[in-house]
Amino acid sequence: MTDTIGSLKLGRTVPDFVCETYEPATGEFGTFSLAEQMATKRWTILFFYPADFTFV
Amino acid sequence: MGCDVVTISTDTTFVHLAWREHEKELAAVTYPMGADPTGNLSRMFGVWDESTGLALRGSFIINPQGTLLGSEVNFYNLGRNIDELMRKFKANVYLARKTSEACPSKWKDEGDKTLTPGAKMVGKVHEALKD
Repeated sequence: MTDTIGSLKLGRTVPDFVCETYEPATGEFGTFSLAEQMATKRWTILFFYPADFTFV
Repeated sequence: MGCDVVTISTDTTFVHLAWREHEKELAAVTYPMGADPTGNLSRMFGVWDESTGLALRGSFIINPQGTLLGSEVNFYNLGRNIDELMRKFKANVYLARKTSEACPSKWKDEGDKTLTPGAKMVGKVHEALKD
């Protein structure tokens, strides 16, 4: 497998990013913004996984 | 303590919609499902697998100041333990308030014994945990 180590390090500030989302709470598409989390003083847990319609 | 969980895969938002609405195992899911089809976000967090175009199983805890405080990455065939992720999240929230303390390995929830690292504890961790 090729190198998958990113440049982010623990203890460093995560660069701002936005991400398109599907919001089950409303059934609509939306946007997630890290800057918005910081503006509203909220913690964030990002949970990456390989693929929809698979298992585990 | 305000916290948002966001799941992310390289699937598009349309696939997320289809999966969420189809798979009964996801009926209780109310958190946003993020799409990273370009792999840019996965690359930024070091979970991009170039050989498959998919994201590895990475969990990241970010505080309200935007600092990365926790990371765990597993390979495809090993699912993460959500209880452990929540334990680490709760520990981080607690430690953000109690900056002179540390959560030992058996710490599970607020109220459990913590340690206060310092010169007095050097060589005496056993006694400190017993108090």
